[in-house]
Amino acid sequence: MKVSFEGISKKYKGKWALKDFSSNLEYGIYGLLGENGAGKTTLINIFVGILKSDQGRVLINGRDVEKIGIDFLSHIGYLPQYPQFYKEFTVLEFLKYMSVLKGIPKEQGEKRAKELLSMVNLSEAKDMKVGALSGGMRQRVGIAQAMLNDPDILILDEPTAGLDPQERIRFRNLITKFSQNRIVLLATHIVSDIEHVANQVILLKNGELLKQGAPQKLTDEIKGKVWSITVTDDSLEEMLHLKISSMMRDDQGIHLRVIADEKPADHAVHVKPNLEDVFLYYSSEGEKW
Amino acid sequence: MVRLFFFEFRKHFMKKSLVIAIICFSLLNIAKIYSEYHEKSLLSSSANPEWQELYWNEIYEQFKGVMTDKKIETLMSIYKPLEQQTADKTASTETNNPNTYTGNLYNDHLFFKWNFVDPMEYAYMYKQYANDVVKTANENVSFFESLGNDYEYKKNKIILNRFQGRSIDSFSYTEMFQYYIHYDFSAFLVILICLYALMSVFVTEKETEMNVLLLTTKAGGQKTIFAKLFSASVFVIAISFWFGLIDFIAFASFFGSLEALFSPIYAIENFANTALDINLGEYALLSLVVKTIGFLIVSYLFLFISLFFKNALLPFIINMFFMFGFIYFQEAYMGSEQIIFKVINPFSLVVHRDLFGGTEFVNLFGFPILSYTAAILLGVIWGGIFLLAIFIFQRKNTIYRIGVKKRVDKVV
Ligand SMILES: Nc1ncnc2c1ncn2[C@@H]1O[C@H](COP(=O)(O)OP(=O)(O)O)[C@@H](O)[C@H]1O
Ligand SMILES: [Mg+2]
Repeated sequence: MKVSFEGISKKYKGKWALKDFSSNLEYGIYGLLGENGAGKTTLINIFVGILKSDQGRVLINGRDVEKIGIDFLSHIGYLPQYPQFYKEFTVLEFLKYMSVLKGIPKEQGEKRAKELLSMVNLSEAKDMKVGALSGGMRQRVGIAQAMLNDPDILILDEPTAGLDPQERIRFRNLITKFSQNRIVLLATHIVSDIEHVANQVILLKNGELLKQGAPQKLTDEIKGKVWSITVTDDSLEEMLHLKISSMMRDDQGIHLRVIADEKPADHAVHVKPNLEDVFLYYSSEGEKW
Repeated sequence: MVRLFFFEFRKHFMKKSLVIAIICFSLLNIAKIYSEYHEKSLLSSSANPEWQELYWNEIYEQFKGVMTDKKIETLMSIYKPLEQQTADKTASTETNNPNTYTGNLYNDHLFFKWNFVDPMEYAYMYKQYANDVVKTANENVSFFESLGNDYEYKKNKIILNRFQGRSIDSFSYTEMFQYYIHYDFSAFLVILICLYALMSVFVTEKETEMNVLLLTTKAGGQKTIFAKLFSASVFVIAISFWFGLIDFIAFASFFGSLEALFSPIYAIENFANTALDINLGEYALLSLVVKTIGFLIVSYLFLFISLFFKNALLPFIINMFFMFGFIYFQEAYMGSEQIIFKVINPFSLVVHRDLFGGTEFVNLFGFPILSYTAAILLGVIWGGIFLLAIFIFQRKNTIYRIGVKKRVDKVV
């Protein structure tokens, strides 16, 4: 399975939400990383066919999605941003309903729903009302729902929003589990969501593709551009014009993690870049202090 | 499709809040009918305590059924003296007179007048009345035929046919149907319940952002709209019949009688001029069906309005406004000569006494159409327009969907 985005653009009231976006996806987890408003949801909505792009097209194995028509829907599983589902439905009922919507035969749908509930560890909660679930549980119902039709492509829009750290980790593991033999497109603005699970990272900023590649490759590319500087309170002021990715204070002073092409200070030393640094590096302006 | 319908029904109508509302309104309705009985029935214990027993245990038995000369003679032999004795208001007003039925002469007089003499007189005279109508219609037919006025000719022909051979041969207790037919409170309750329940049908999807997810599933588009409209219709019909059933059973049990079930509809005085020639039992059923059609049409309007909103409150208020508009409009034209303004109002099917009580016509391309036929016809057209509008606008509302030609650029 191969998904190609070809020159996708979308404009809202004269402002580009997405500009000439092109990318190819094959197997594995793709982390679509970008800050709020970068255009992630816009891209996903165009992909799942609920928003029309101004330009460009989406191809599946070389075929235009428009031409595939409604059958395309059986290839995708989709978890929207901020889903609430129906408060009055029980978990199992909701999954059954989603299988009906997806045109899955009755027995098969029910069997699949139960399997998935056990995979996302919600078998116990199957008779709970959706309205009574915690955020993490609801997201797990959401991913189970997306997996019902055994899709080739799983699309998750900010699935970890509002989860606590533990739920976040559990959810990450779940995604890895589900990524076998399929394409997972996971949009997020949180680097740690994808840092250790994504095979590929797609960096999006202001509707434009900054960079796509394996996390290792992306961090390698900025090798030698991430520095650590230890300063005192007095000398902190003169460092604040730099792109600082983190700041930590201990009894030896303040440790700054700085991103810069050139050595930013005499006593700066190299450190190993991480994905967060990559994100910051390609964002034109750094954190302003 | 069946399962889709079931889930749609479950989603919107099998909610605790709604079930509670239906139960409360049902009880309210029963209470209202109970008070209706106490307020209006001549035989209720609060109005005339001793009448009920007297009526059912002694007198009604003697006079019910086919009105024979003998029965009328007997009744007159009781009533005439009472009338004379009370005419000059000099009779005794004591309330425990052992030589009377109720303990008091005036009371006796009214008892027989209201319960037997007046209604039997109406029933007896109706044959003559219908005959007169037929005679006039007959004259009109010849007259308008000679004038070449085809419309009036046809109209009178219809009147002629409808009134020919009418008579009320039997006397029966009609109070129950009299008030049952004139009872509108339950219609108001049904509309409120429908309004409350239906507001969520389209709005929920937006509130929960499920509209986005629905459109990425095969059956989440057109089929879901169908399932929504179908389940909404089933709900409205079920609620209408539920309250219809409560009305009927409650009236029958509080008034304690179904006596007039097989009497002709014109045995009720307000329906002396009706174009219908069916019995009261049939009318009860017809009335329920017509009312239900009215509820459906109004419901489709409610649903249509709700399409344009993201939460339920505003369309609820707007629809309420519409509802009172219809009611006002209907009251304004009640009994009016402007038949067209009656029949064009979808609410005329909900409270439809005015349509069925008389024989009125609407001119449709030179053909005289009975007002109730016209109202049902127009109602069906209204319903069709609203349904079509729902489909068109829901599609416009829905975001572009793969495999569907229509493309719209907006995420709603
Ligand atoms: N319906 C809309 N109307 C106008 N502007 C929109 C609309 N949807 C998104 N945008 C704009 O498009 C840009 C991208 O939004 P979005 O794709 O939601 O970003 P993300 O999901 O990455 O946070 C933002 O600037 C947003 O304000
Ligand atoms: Mg988003």
